[in-house]
Order: sequence, then C-alpha cells, then structure tokens
Amino acid sequence: MKQAYKIKAQSFWFSLLSGGIPIYAAPFDEKPYALSGSFNTPMDTIAGLTDWGQDINYVYGITTVIVAFVFLAVSIPLIYAIRRFRVKESDLAHMKPPKQVHGNALLEFIWTIVPVILLLFIAIPTWQIIFRQPDANHLPAGTMKIEVVGHQWWWEFRYPELGITTANELHLPENTPVYFALSSADVIHSFWVPQFGGKLDAIPGTHINHLFLTTPPLRHSGKSGGEYYQGQCAELCGLSHALMRFEAVVHGKAEFERWALAYHKPPVVETAQQKRGEQVFMQCMSCHTIYGTQSEELEKQMLAMTPPTHKAGPNLTDFGSRRTLGAGTRSNTAENFHAWVHDPASIKPGSRMVGLGLSPEDIEAVGAYLRQSTAKTY
Amino acid sequence: MAKGLPHTGMVSWLTTVDHKRIGIMYGLSAFIFLLFGGVEALLMRTQLAVPNNTVLEAGTFNSLVTMHGTTMIFLFVMPLSAAFFNFLTPLLIGAPDVAFPRMNALSYWIFLFGGILLNFSFVVRMVPDGGWFNYANLTGKIFSPSHAIDFWVLGVQVLGLASLIAAINFFVTILNMRCKGMTLLKMPIFVWTTLITQILLILSLPVITVALVMMTFDRNFGTGFFDPGSGGQVLMWQHFFWIFGHPEVYILILPAMGIVSEVLPTFSRKPLFGYSVMVYSSCSIGFLGFAVWAHHMFTTGMGPWVNALFSAATMLIAVPTGAKIFNWIATLWGGQLRFTTPMLFCVSFIAMFTFGGLSGVMHSSPPIDSQHQDTYFVVAHFHYVLYGGAVMALFGGVFYWFPKVFGVYMHEGMGKLQFWLYMIGFNCTFFPMHFLGLQGMPRRIYTYSADQGWNLWNLVVTGGSYITALGGIVFVVNLFYSLKWGKKAPADCWDGRTLEWSLASPPPEYNFAVDPEVKQLDAWWHQKYASDGTRLTPVFQPVVDPKTKHLPHPSFWPLILAMGLSVMVVGLFFDNMGHYISVGGIVMALLATYGWVYEEA
Repeated sequence: MKQAYKIKAQSFWFSLLSGGIPIYAAPFDEKPYALSGSFNTPMDTIAGLTDWGQDINYVYGITTVIVAFVFLAVSIPLIYAIRRFRVKESDLAHMKPPKQVHGNALLEFIWTIVPVILLLFIAIPTWQIIFRQPDANHLPAGTMKIEVVGHQWWWEFRYPELGITTANELHLPENTPVYFALSSADVIHSFWVPQFGGKLDAIPGTHINHLFLTTPPLRHSGKSGGEYYQGQCAELCGLSHALMRFEAVVHGKAEFERWALAYHKPPVVETAQQKRGEQVFMQCMSCHTIYGTQSEELEKQMLAMTPPTHKAGPNLTDFGSRRTLGAGTRSNTAENFHAWVHDPASIKPGSRMVGLGLSPEDIEAVGAYLRQSTAKTY
Repeated sequence: MAKGLPHTGMVSWLTTVDHKRIGIMYGLSAFIFLLFGGVEALLMRTQLAVPNNTVLEAGTFNSLVTMHGTTMIFLFVMPLSAAFFNFLTPLLIGAPDVAFPRMNALSYWIFLFGGILLNFSFVVRMVPDGGWFNYANLTGKIFSPSHAIDFWVLGVQVLGLASLIAAINFFVTILNMRCKGMTLLKMPIFVWTTLITQILLILSLPVITVALVMMTFDRNFGTGFFDPGSGGQVLMWQHFFWIFGHPEVYILILPAMGIVSEVLPTFSRKPLFGYSVMVYSSCSIGFLGFAVWAHHMFTTGMGPWVNALFSAATMLIAVPTGAKIFNWIATLWGGQLRFTTPMLFCVSFIAMFTFGGLSGVMHSSPPIDSQHQDTYFVVAHFHYVLYGGAVMALFGGVFYWFPKVFGVYMHEGMGKLQFWLYMIGFNCTFFPMHFLGLQGMPRRIYTYSADQGWNLWNLVVTGGSYITALGGIVFVVNLFYSLKWGKKAPADCWDGRTLEWSLASPPPEYNFAVDPEVKQLDAWWHQKYASDGTRLTPVFQPVVDPKTKHLPHPSFWPLILAMGLSVMVVGLFFDNMGHYISVGGIVMALLATYGWVYEEA
C-alpha cells in the first residue's frame, strides 16, 4: 500500500503545481474517460501513459527545474534591486548621481556561459529522444500499422492488416507497438491523444507522417469493453475544428482480437423497425459503408473507378457499439441521433452531411438499425 | 504647389512630411486599432468564459481569432513602434528629419489604407477566418471560397509594403544622417534596436510578399502552389510564412527592448550596463532570428534532423536574450531608482518578458513542444512576451516621451492606476493559460464541453481580460485629460541622457537650431554632470525663427500615391469591373509619382 500512497502524493504535488487541484475542478457531467493521476482531466498532457509520453515527461521534468531556477535567478536580484536602490523624488535634488558603472566583462562571461551549460541539459535529452523514434523502414517486430486520415470534421482509422476501416473510435490492443500513418483527405489536421503523448499533423497530399508509440497497459486488467482516452484535432481546420474529437479505446489483447473478428459480422436485423431502417439506410449508402451490406459493394465499386472515389462519410459498421456520435461531440443516444440526422449542421456547423428531409418515423427506424443492428458483441 | 500648403489645420496633417507629426499619426492610429483588437479579444473571452456558450457562432469566433492576432501585430504593435521610430530617430541622432520625408508620409498613408482595407471586411461581412497565419490549404479557394481570405491576403500585402518603405527610410537615415562625432557605437541604444529592426523588415518582408502573391494567384488565377490536388505543397506556405513570421516577432520585441534600455538608465541615474554587449546581443538576436523559423513547425513531420537543428538554434537564441535581461538588472543595481509610471512599465517588462522567454525555452524542445503546440500553453507564452513584454514597454515609452511630444506630462496617478490594472489583469488573463495548456485545451476552439476540467481557469482568464480592459479605459481618459489639462513639461522632463532632452517640449519643427556635436555615448548627460558627479550647466538648444531653416515642403503626393495603390488592390475584389478599377488605381499612382518627382523638395 506504500506504492499507492506514493502515487497519490505525487499526484497531489503535480496537481498543486499545475493548478489542477481536484477540489477546485468543476464537476464533470460524466466520467467516461480513464483519468490519470496528475490532473484528473481527459486531455491531461502529463499523464505519460506510453513510452512516447514518458520520454516527453523526462525532458519536461528537467526543463521545468532549469526554467524555475533561471526564473529565480532573475526575479530575486530584480526584487532585491527594486527594494534596495529605490529613492524618493524629493531626496534626489541634493544627491549626486551614483557611480556610473558601464559594465563588467566577468559578469557578462558568467551570464553567457551558465545559460549555455543549462541549455545543454535540455538539448542532449531532447536530441536523444528525437533520434530514438523508430523510422518506418525499421519497425520493431509485432508493430501494428494503423492509417489515420483526417477529414473535416471526423477521423478515419484503417487497419490494413485486419482489413478494417472504422471511424472516430480508435480501438487498440494494450502493450502493443503501433505505427500510425497520418494523412488528410482535405485540410491540415493534427492527431493528438494527450494522455498518450504528443501530437503530429495529418497533412493532405502525398506526405505521410509517422507516429510511433507502445499502447498503454490496461489500468484494470480483465475489464471488458475497453478503456477510453480522449483525442482531439489540434490544428485549425475550419468551422467545426472545436468539435473534431475521437476516442482511443484500449482493450486486452484477447478482447481486441474478438473486436476485430466481430467487426466483420454483418448487422443483425430482427425487428420490423430495424428492417425499415435497413431500407432507409439505402439513402445513406453513397456516403456511408456498413460491412456485410450492399453499401460495402458500392464502396468497392467506387474505389475501383479511375481515379478511385472515396465515400465522403465515416464508416458506420460498428456504430451501435460507439459511445459517441459526431466525432466525440454527443453521446450515442436515440435523442442525439435523431437531432443529428434531422439537421447535422445544428450540431456541427459547416457539416458536409445535410438533413435528408426524412420523416421522424424514418429517422427512428434508421436509428434502430444503426444503434441496435450494428452493435457488435465481443 | 507644395510651397503654398498651409502649416496648420486639417490639410496640414494630410500633407505633412514632418517626422514628428507622422509619428503622432502612427501613434493615434495604433491606439484606435488597439480598441478594435481589444474588443475582438473581449468577445472571444466572453464566449469562452463558460462551456458550451452561445455568445458567438463558430464562424464568428474563427473570424475574431484571425482578426485579433492580425490587428494586434500589424495594426497596433508595429505602428506604435513606428510612431517611436518616426518621432525619435532624427532627434536621437541630431538630424533635422529623416532621409526621405515624403516617403515617410507615404508609408503612413499606405499603412492606414491597409488597416482600413483589412477591417472593411467587417462592413461587407466577409471577415478572414483562417487564423492570423492563414495556413494553406484551409485558406485555398476550395475550402475558403468567399473573398474573406482575400481581405487578409491583400490587407497584409499592403501593410507589408508600408513597413518596407519605412524600413528603407530609417535604415538610410540612421546610417547617413547622424550628427558630427556620433559613430555607430556612440548612438543611443534605441537607435541600434531600430536599425536592426529595419534590417529584419527589409530582409523578411520580401518573403511574405512573394508568398502572398503566390496565394493570391492560387485563389484568383488558378495556380496550385499550395494545393495538393494540383501537385502543390501545403507545408511550403508554412515555411514561407514563418521565414517572415519569426523575424517578425523580433521586429515586434526589439523596439520595445530599445525603449526599456533608454528608460531604465534615466530613472536609475546610471548608464545602460554593458552597452556594447547589448548592441552585439541585439545583432545576434536579429541574425539568429532567421535561423529558427521551423520551430513553429515541429509537429508537421519535417524529420528528426530538421527538428534537432532548429531546436538547437532556438535554444541558442536564448543566450543573447538572457544576457540582455541580466544587463538590465545590472543597470538598476546600485542606481537611484525613481518609480515613475514609465519606470514601472519598463521594470515589469523585465519580469514578464523573462517569464515568457522561459516558456519559450520549454517549447524549443520538440518532444515537449509536441504537447504544447496548438494549445493554450503557446498562447500564454507569446502573450507574456508580446503583451507583458512589448506592449508594457511601449506604454512605458508613451509615458516617457509624451511630455517631449506634446509639452505636457501624462497624469501620474492615472498612469499608475492603469499600470496596476494592467499587471493584475494581464497576469490573471495569461497565467492560467499555462494550466489550460497543460490540461490539453487546444487553440482556436470556439467552445468546449463541461467535462474537460477547463471551466475554472477559463472563467478566471475571462475575468482578467475585463480587468485589463478597465486599464485601457483609464489610459484613454488619461490621454484626453493630459492633452487638455496636463502639467506643463520643460525641455529636460526627466533628467535624461540623450539629445532629445536638449530640445524644447515640444521640439520646434526644424528640431536642432544648432547641429549637435557629440564626443561620447549619453552626450547630453555629460553636458550636465562631470565625471565626479558635480553639476554642470548644459547648453539647451535655442529656438530660432523657422524661416531661417530649410525644411522639406508639405506635399499631397504621398497621400494620392497611397490612394492609387489601394484602389489598385481593391480592384482585385471585383470580378468584372475589377480590371477597370485596378487600372484606375495604377493611373492614379503613376500621376502621383510624376507629380512627386517633379515637385520641389
């Protein structure tokens, strides 16, 4: 239990130093995210849950100490000088000016050399970390490749080794090296899961950016359903930049395998409402794909064209299992779903998806299809 | 024509070529644009005070964040610095005016029209919304089809032209028109920082000019420099922008550092500690400033070598900057410190700028920066250096030289009230942003949800911004009060060290009746105090009949040439008639040039 105490004390000091004192933090509406010990906030940047994040925290710690030292080295003499050498305006009239000191070569030397030395303590670990990142041609054995494509304003995730394309929920196995290949279908976005580590831009064009990290272990082993971490776009990308979130979901390795297998199962259509919804979904096929349905056929045909034409909207294969809709913007409830399909732009300004003018009953039906039929069990 | 123009009244201001009047116009314009930028900030902070707020829509917020940055940089800090360059440079070097007086007026009018053009976007409700850095390809024709972005592109293009013209003018003035005996290392330090700033402008503005032309062509004439669909590269815009953008931040800070270096010695009654080191550090900062631009792009995936080298250069630039900070403290050390309002602003600069510089050192490491980039941590950093730094120093300069410019002191009580409101407001606004950045709040988001843990600090930040606004109101009141009822100021208002204090307050139009001759740095101080500190009787500049002095004549042509150039640019906004409007503008510009060339100087 000494271990538990140590972590708790560390997190207390971190919180105090960084202003995230839990008792003053506003209560959350919900606590859907795995929270780290430092800030208890979903977008905590010093959680350091992966090797990438821990590397960053290492040099961050050194730098903070050095920066604090320099700040004291400046502010203490400054405050002292202000107090010690202050004179009253009225006294000045009969005071001769002070000694007109022009400079001191030794002091200049000291306050030039000392900062250089201090900077080396920041620079050397920095360079070590930069060059430690593996390159795309020499990946460690067992690295999983995931392609990340940014869109206005949602995230596409492709697992080429598993034949899976999904959106907005990034499922990951624990303790696994992953290589993210980042790109964009439209403008510059930035891929960022703060609790894991730093960000990297997703750029349109031929340039692919590579981000490597080893996924964190589960915090509570044996938990089913996965542990959720928040990610968000970090480069201004238009009207709904603020609403372009995603969720990274970490599973145990066995659970992840089951998720990947379940992904390919077609939707389960049983009730009359779900059947009606399946019909309504035909109108959505030109932009969305659900594996195991006609929409998948249509996507294959579109990709076979010259040039290959990608569908404009997110893959909805496991939509029923997702916690949120609209790229992390709203919880996946029937009410929110209805509002979204009725008028997407009211939730996401500038949304490419338009309200199709569906009747409320049709929206309910396609809601039943998408929220129930596509829910995967694993 | 020019000889007959009046020297008083409205027309005299429109046709003036007097550096002192142009300086006043720059200053007044800068403060009016400060109101714009300030209101833009207050609106954004009101929207972000609480989660899921509905004060502003997404598009409006994106426009305000773009205009706030663009306005504060190009329409407030740069013109206010220009106000100082204009008024002071000839006085500090003992010259009657700048090298090219009509060009001086031209740069002011082009600046004013550029600022009006940029803000005209509000009138037609097509406000630029791509951020102050306007990254491609969000700002290309596909993703930003309306003319909103064109207001930014062409507005900044025009403003850049104004700065470039002024930079050439001051560069020549400083090198060619110093009075007898004033070698480069006997010039006041403010003149040095001005000189380096002009060199930075001359070298960096052409880069952004070219980039803006490329973007104008992409958006209007079908090219694809920055469009990946046409084989272009989005990152190229970022490189061009930041090759200008990084020296730009030194352009913003160096004049402020020069002001601090003049104010601290006066109110410590000691010379600037380490004058030559300050000169060499300023030169190094200017030089190295061109080698660090890609630190704004650490998260764009340029590769490990690029990141490592730019990181090293960025850390290196911290060394001369740090030396300057210690030299300022050493200036105060052992002095006789008087805490007038200008001194308060300039001493606070030391602390605030240091703090901002240190968070900058944190971002100089790419791994750390991968967490900071595009979060409020960076917003905190640059506001500490630009606001806690540059703006505080500029206000210090305003209070310091106001009595020289207008012949009356600003009200000390109101000045000190403004200072404290600013210090409290500024720190309440920007200190918590470090926490928000650590807690992962991204930049440029118009709203956030209640479960992010950002609620408390956002509220505090907004509160701080309102306190700062109060300080701004106090300043405006002080301005009007002082101009009307301010205490009369003598020639040597503060027991200063440099030549402008030998002139009457305000100085006569011709500046120096007798050309000064200097033998050392701080020439004026040495006329007042012997080396053992005994007082001497200085010789103030006499006032003579202005008609005995040759002065450049007022002229209409700079105003008309500026108008012609602006009309030429405006024509680009109209699709069919546009060509005719632009041609009209070119004709106007050519006629004005003809009139200018043949006018008697």
